[in-house]
Amino acid sequence: MASKKKRSLNAQNDRWVVIAADSVVDAAKSDGSDPVFVRLKNPATDVASLYLFGAGDADVYEVKAFDEDYRSWFIGQTVQRDGRLLYITPVDPLYLLLPYIIKAGKEQGKFQPVEQVLMDEDFPACRRLLRCARTRASLPQVAEEKEGNGQRFYKYSQEKTVEWLKKKVDRTVEALKKSNISVGGGVKSTTYIRTKQECNVQEEDYLRYAHGLISEYISEDLSKELQKILQLPEVSSPKDLEPPSKKRKVSDTPVEAGEDYTKFNGASFARKPPKKMSAAQKSLAKADKTGMKSMSAFFSPKAKTEKN
Amino acid sequence: MDLSDFEADNSVSCRLSSAIPDICRTTDCCLGIDEAGRGPVLGPMVYGICFCPIDRKEDLKALKVADSKTLTEVERENLFCKLDEAKSFVGWALQILSPNTISTSMLQRAKYNLNALSHDAAIGLVQYALDCGVQLKEVFVDTVGPAEKYQDKLSQRFPGVEVTVRPKADSLFPIVSAASICAKVARDHAVTSWGFVEDLGDVDTDYGSGYPNDPKTKSWLLKHLDPVFGYPQFVRFSWSTAKTILDDKAVPVHWDDDEEGGEKAAARMNCASMLSYFGKSRTSARETHRFFSERRLQSLDSL
Repeated sequence: MASKKKRSLNAQNDRWVVIAADSVVDAAKSDGSDPVFVRLKNPATDVASLYLFGAGDADVYEVKAFDEDYRSWFIGQTVQRDGRLLYITPVDPLYLLLPYIIKAGKEQGKFQPVEQVLMDEDFPACRRLLRCARTRASLPQVAEEKEGNGQRFYKYSQEKTVEWLKKKVDRTVEALKKSNISVGGGVKSTTYIRTKQECNVQEEDYLRYAHGLISEYISEDLSKELQKILQLPEVSSPKDLEPPSKKRKVSDTPVEAGEDYTKFNGASFARKPPKKMSAAQKSLAKADKTGMKSMSAFFSPKAKTEKN
Repeated sequence: MDLSDFEADNSVSCRLSSAIPDICRTTDCCLGIDEAGRGPVLGPMVYGICFCPIDRKEDLKALKVADSKTLTEVERENLFCKLDEAKSFVGWALQILSPNTISTSMLQRAKYNLNALSHDAAIGLVQYALDCGVQLKEVFVDTVGPAEKYQDKLSQRFPGVEVTVRPKADSLFPIVSAASICAKVARDHAVTSWGFVEDLGDVDTDYGSGYPNDPKTKSWLLKHLDPVFGYPQFVRFSWSTAKTILDDKAVPVHWDDDEEGGEKAAARMNCASMLSYFGKSRTSARETHRFFSERRLQSLDSL
């Protein structure tokens, strides 16, 4: 078969297939300004992720892509190679603010106006989070609040934050139960339709699943803190599953051979005559081997190339 | 020959048949099987059976049916008309396997090759004759693949019927010749009046014999290649002639049962590359929660 052409990865693409919350489109109608994609710091990974501000920055949405190999779209009379499906779903702006508030709390540890906290050269768009409808009202969920001179000042509070996250987890558990999402340990495929309801799913499974889901939106430290509060025991990490190292333990007892090789020296041990070679082996043996390296030569340390 | 049943939807397999002569239900009959259009890259493959009472074989000879390949198109047409007129004792049935059926069978995930497809078409037709009450005692077949194996397969499938599989059966047994004429006439009709389901505008119908080595066929294939869709359903996509042109000229399309090797394939299979086991420090990037990974949902960093 002819060699397959390689997929070029960076094809121009100015179209996407998107599923968006109605509010994205509705807001655009009323305000007249278009929703806009922006890059913001992902609170879980600290790297850039794609978000979308609704018209007038009223709401912020996260963008997730359903991305599977071997998919393309037929759209009208055209083909789109990028077979992804983008989901634009609302996200609580507080998640996106939290890294900044935590950072300020660590560095300054004093009450500050939120405008001062929310500075980021890498992601200047983060200031728009302040315009979101829910932002200011929900700040007290994660920070102590003070008022003075007609301004509000905030200081990060871990207790409050964890309490807030705990509520998020509880609500997520409710949502998981309502939408029949399989959270049990053994379940791998969500498309697998079972006839019977999972019977041995425990409350802890829901809690752990919800905690994992919320952890997609918070830093690792915070995730661990939340785990403690939820009293979820640690699960064995994959590292524990690795085979033990082969190094022999040092001990005081003298080292002895594990097997007795002296039996080969005895008279009773006669060397067996070499086995008959198969036809293929014979023909191989006949081949001219001059100039060929032995197999072991490839594994010995590389000879240093001499400098000219 | 009335092909309207097939022409109504030429993307699927279709069966055409004559009325069953009454005499065939009461006397021992012989049956011949032959096919037309096995090799071409264009158009359907047609399986034909012809049957008549064993003691009327001589009458069939009188019609001067002979191997369809030795006849001109007009002679074949005339002979088919004669066969159709002899409906008091000769019956026939056809299975038209559309090029689309052939393509999709041969290119599906669980490959269904042309020999299996042919055997099943033949078996289906014999079974049809039996179901119609034809008193079958002898079956003659032109071979597809090794004759012995095919004969065993058919004998097992139809106990009580004497099956003879023979290369060149179409020139040895008049009943097979008759079947070959029916099949060939049907194929000719189907190809000359092919109704393209695709909107091709002014389609050039000068595609020659349809055999891969026909220069007319080849240039037609080159001319009617669509970079995205390839060919109309008239073309057997599973033929290497078509495949080669598609590989060279059309947009590459990747399917998830394509064979690929190397690291990329390993990555797809979710296997870690061997090298990854030698790296000392495993960067502890957090794994995406299974809610997202199970649904193949990813964060994006740009569009």
